Amino acid sequence: MKRGYVKSSPHFFRPVKVSMLLLVAALIGLAWLIPAPLQEQADIARVPNPVKSAWFLLWIQELVSYSKYLIYLVLALTPLFLFLPWLPIGTPAAKATWFPKEQRLVTVTALALAAAVLALTLVALFFRGPNWQLVAPF
Amino acid sequence: MIKDFARHLFPRAVLQRDLTFTYTFCLGGLAFTSFLVLAATGALLLFYYQPTPAAAYPSILLLESSVYGGKYLRSLHRLASHFFLVLIVLHTLRVILTGACAKPRELNWLTGCALLMLAVFEGYTGYLLPMDQLALWATQTGMELVNTLPFGAALRTVLVPDGVGEPMSLLRFYVLHILVVPGAVLLLSSLHFYRVRKNKGVLPYL
Repeated sequence: MKRGYVKSSPHFFRPVKVSMLLLVAALIGLAWLIPAPLQEQADIARVPNPVKSAWFLLWIQELVSYSKYLIYLVLALTPLFLFLPWLPIGTPAAKATWFPKEQRLVTVTALALAAAVLALTLVALFFRGPNWQLVAPF
Repeated sequence: MIKDFARHLFPRAVLQRDLTFTYTFCLGGLAFTSFLVLAATGALLLFYYQPTPAAAYPSILLLESSVYGGKYLRSLHRLASHFFLVLIVLHTLRVILTGACAKPRELNWLTGCALLMLAVFEGYTGYLLPMDQLALWATQTGMELVNTLPFGAALRTVLVPDGVGEPMSLLRFYVLHILVVPGAVLLLSSLHFYRVRKNKGVLPYL
């Protein structure tokens, strides 16, 4: 075995196995506490107000509620996201580390975008009422 | 056999310092675990679900009221789907913030991006299936968002040829949700794990 290396079995597989089991246990436990909602049967004639999309798309709904042209901002950012490894953004990190200083711009941009998506989702989820007006959540 | 196959998918040896839990938090493996829970619970739900506008909602009611553990099974499936999406997003963010998407891991970055998009699409196609008010209108709103995209109208016609919640649309969402998208996720996940092996680890290590 080369210096610094250890066999994957058991050193790599053990933490993977433990984390998998813990997640399954958490899911099994939480599913007892959080029942899946079921509203009344779908009726195309009865439109709820507000109408909200699935929670993972709410940030886009919130974004286009300001201007429908903001969808082009999302479309413009998508290729940047996809081609991240090919962008001239500095040399790859030499070793495993969080927030490598060689790519500070990417780190800041990624965190800012993640924060924006989270903020838009929370606003749409909790602060939008009838006619998509801003309301207090409680 | 499964154990041997899993071992073959990953490198035989890894750098000890890369095993630091706080580098990865096992987020990718946990996302895949959620996918496996989704597949298992989804397969059981198939025994009761009927993909027609008239029968879908009553089949969910039957599952929840008359089938032992049916209500719990549906809750577990829904919860696992939320975990799957959140974990795959966090995994993607981790890959960016540790610089692990840089060369020579660019192919795995692309398969990971495809997996993220498929996970969102999988969640979206599953949203309609219970055919309650939440399902119908959330899907309808999603389709309005699709309409704002270039070629969105064409895409909408492919997905919902007869309107959200109508027979053809529900059938298409059902087939996409239970067969096409999970199949693609499984294939791409295998490629993703294989590339981890080819890249000799999950993190920049040189």
